[in-house]
Amino acid sequence: MILATGNTCRRGAGFHHGAVLFSFPPPFCRTAAWWLLLLPAAAAEPGLTSVWQDIAESRSHLALVQLDRLADQNDRGAQLARAAAMLDDQPVTDTGLREAEALLVAVAGGTDELAAQATYLQTRLYQMHFAQPDFPKAAELLRALAARLPQSHWAQLGLVKLGLLQLYALPEPSGPAARLAVTEALLARITEKSLQRDLHLQLGLAGVFWKQPLAGVLEHLLAADRIGGVAGQASEDLIAQIAELSFRDGQDAQARQYYERYLREYPTSGRCFTVRVRLQMLDERAAAAKGARP
Amino acid sequence: MNFGRREKIGLGFFLLCYLTAVYWVWTRSSPLIRERPVTIRIAHWQIEAGPPDGIDAIIRRYEALHPRVKVEQQLIPGIVYKQWLRSNLAGGTGADIIEWGPWIEGVRDVPARYFEPITAALALPNPYNGGTPLEGVPWQQTFKDGLGGQRTDSPDPGEIFGVTLCEVSVRLFCNRELLREVTGSTRIPQTFDDMRRIFGQLDAYNLRSGRQPVMALAGAKDNNEWLQEYLLMGVTMGLNFTLDDPGSLFLANRQILAAYLEGRWNFRRPEVKAGFELMREIGRHMKPGFQQLSRDEATREFMHGDALFIFTGTWDATSLRRLASFTIDALRFPQPTKDDPVVGRYTIGRFADGGGVTAMAMHLNKASPHKAETLDFMRFMTSMQGSQLFTDGSGWLPATLGVKIPPEIVSFLSPQDGYALCQPYSIIGSNATMQFSRNMHLLTGEHGSVDKFTAALDEVMPEAVRSDLQSELRSLLMTIRTQDGRTIAHAQLSGAAVAGRNHAVLREVMECGETISEATALQMRCQLEQTAPTK
Repeated sequence: MILATGNTCRRGAGFHHGAVLFSFPPPFCRTAAWWLLLLPAAAAEPGLTSVWQDIAESRSHLALVQLDRLADQNDRGAQLARAAAMLDDQPVTDTGLREAEALLVAVAGGTDELAAQATYLQTRLYQMHFAQPDFPKAAELLRALAARLPQSHWAQLGLVKLGLLQLYALPEPSGPAARLAVTEALLARITEKSLQRDLHLQLGLAGVFWKQPLAGVLEHLLAADRIGGVAGQASEDLIAQIAELSFRDGQDAQARQYYERYLREYPTSGRCFTVRVRLQMLDERAAAAKGARP
Repeated sequence: MNFGRREKIGLGFFLLCYLTAVYWVWTRSSPLIRERPVTIRIAHWQIEAGPPDGIDAIIRRYEALHPRVKVEQQLIPGIVYKQWLRSNLAGGTGADIIEWGPWIEGVRDVPARYFEPITAALALPNPYNGGTPLEGVPWQQTFKDGLGGQRTDSPDPGEIFGVTLCEVSVRLFCNRELLREVTGSTRIPQTFDDMRRIFGQLDAYNLRSGRQPVMALAGAKDNNEWLQEYLLMGVTMGLNFTLDDPGSLFLANRQILAAYLEGRWNFRRPEVKAGFELMREIGRHMKPGFQQLSRDEATREFMHGDALFIFTGTWDATSLRRLASFTIDALRFPQPTKDDPVVGRYTIGRFADGGGVTAMAMHLNKASPHKAETLDFMRFMTSMQGSQLFTDGSGWLPATLGVKIPPEIVSFLSPQDGYALCQPYSIIGSNATMQFSRNMHLLTGEHGSVDKFTAALDEVMPEAVRSDLQSELRSLLMTIRTQDGRTIAHAQLSGAAVAGRNHAVLREVMECGETISEATALQMRCQLEQTAPTK
């Protein structure tokens, strides 16, 4: 910007509307300056894809900046993205979360994917995000979502989350066996295999937590393993757990099968020493059983 | 609007400039943003001899491969690391890659707040392992322990935040010449009884030598804690199995904390008290007042020939060997066996002395402006090539599989010949660790005793342990809360193309991990409620 010459400058006016650059009449300068400013802005208007990319990569603040530059602020996709970004835009406050909820409620009307995602996120606010969670309210919303859009992935995922609430957080049912039974009933309503697996896994682990008979626990863990694809470290844990709990329950053949599988799949793990000791103990048990046989 | 001649020339000149600028930007402006030089920084506290050289070698090679990326190494002394970490992360000026460890008091929340989980990246092969035996192997499985230690330290059981650079073990380093002088031979102790015998021979040596007494073990607060943790871990291994309800042959700190609140163990249990007895016995062979000294003092004591042994991790080995004027042997500390008079009846067998556990964990700063380049450097740093450079330069064992170990550090390797179930009970959380340390004088002091120590712990631990479990829960919730928006984002980005399919996979992985973490959080919440003190 080196062309600050001409009448405009000498008159000492026009800086504020860009006329300082040229000796053009102010109205022309003003129009030209606005166009110049708008051109790059228009060229850089972000698409929602870029916004979602930022949210996926934990750059919620950047996503919100991009959303502010969108032309259509009332677009449902943009509203959902804004709400999703607000969940992780520090500092997160209950007031901010209430604003996000208002956006989600606006998007949730209807039966499309956006509506299902918005409703799911609303349930998560009550389950996870507010400073004081409201588990009964979250459960109520999850049940309503499953009734309204039963085949939606988000309703199905919601059933898994409902299962967690029933297993640990809701006041009713109160006894461990009843908690497990009412959650097991959800399995029939879940059609997606990966989500069935996740609920089976949680039913197994909850059975351990609530000190239920190991045979029932193992049924769920084995079901989760049969479906396969458990994420990350949990898959290694699952094999060790099936092996060890089978060992404790006296299901020796199954214990051996899973201990050996563990050694094959995780040969460098620090747990291998214990697994080898357990295999020796299984050998001793087998030898003792053989010796005791008439 | 009437334009005069001057205005027309001006407008023409302006348009010409504008078009030239547009042409220049689109055709000649280079490098493009994604190709411009970037600088990434890696910060750590390993300022001992060795590691900075190893990392420097990695950096030089990486910069040769990627000339546009400059990597700077920041060496932060351990004594100010906590303050440096907190202030820089809060101020948004933290390095791109940051070392972190859960034992640093008061920073347990840091991963959840400031570090980016890299679980999804770890599920994919490390491209820098192409053409090696690790080609195509998921990045996580290229580490000796599959990053099991990182999982223990993660605030979220479904996520891993750090990658490791080295394998550590604890060793008893011995001054060979001094050993010969004291015992008349260089025979190294094989059993714990041998150690006791050498302690006796040393007393006799001190009487006849007339010089300033030589201590058996170089003493400092740090070295004492490492030795105590090691001994306590062995004695409590049987107890650990009774607490492993899920049968995963692994215990996270939160399980031990919850079990304490549920009254399933305490510091008065016979095996724990036996462990304390052993700790007191060992503590008597360090110089008086060692609790006030830092590890540097212990190193100095050992280097001056004023102590026969120093118990430390292999992280000190390069410094010891480079600085010592005598021959140093690195021994596996002889473990008490089942016939030991103090702890024998609680011993279930050998326990791991570090083998297979990887450390020096590096984390990706969530606020890094160059995440892609940073993650790429982390991949290179932990590839076979990067790890070899680190090992050769540092004299530290590598964390990555398949790296050639130089002969001089082969003795640092520990075979898989011991139980490895959890951390010792003295470092299960920031507050518990602090109370343990604060009351240590009641055990190792001249007028201390096991009973005095356990009585003091009984008084302070319930509150400390509860606070630690609450802190674990807060950190876990913090990481879970960041995932809901990201899950929806991955769903929105899913599609039929390769990138879209990747997002679909990430969504499913995140959902599965989040459900596991959420269940853990709910369990912890139940445990805190069920064990809440009555008003």
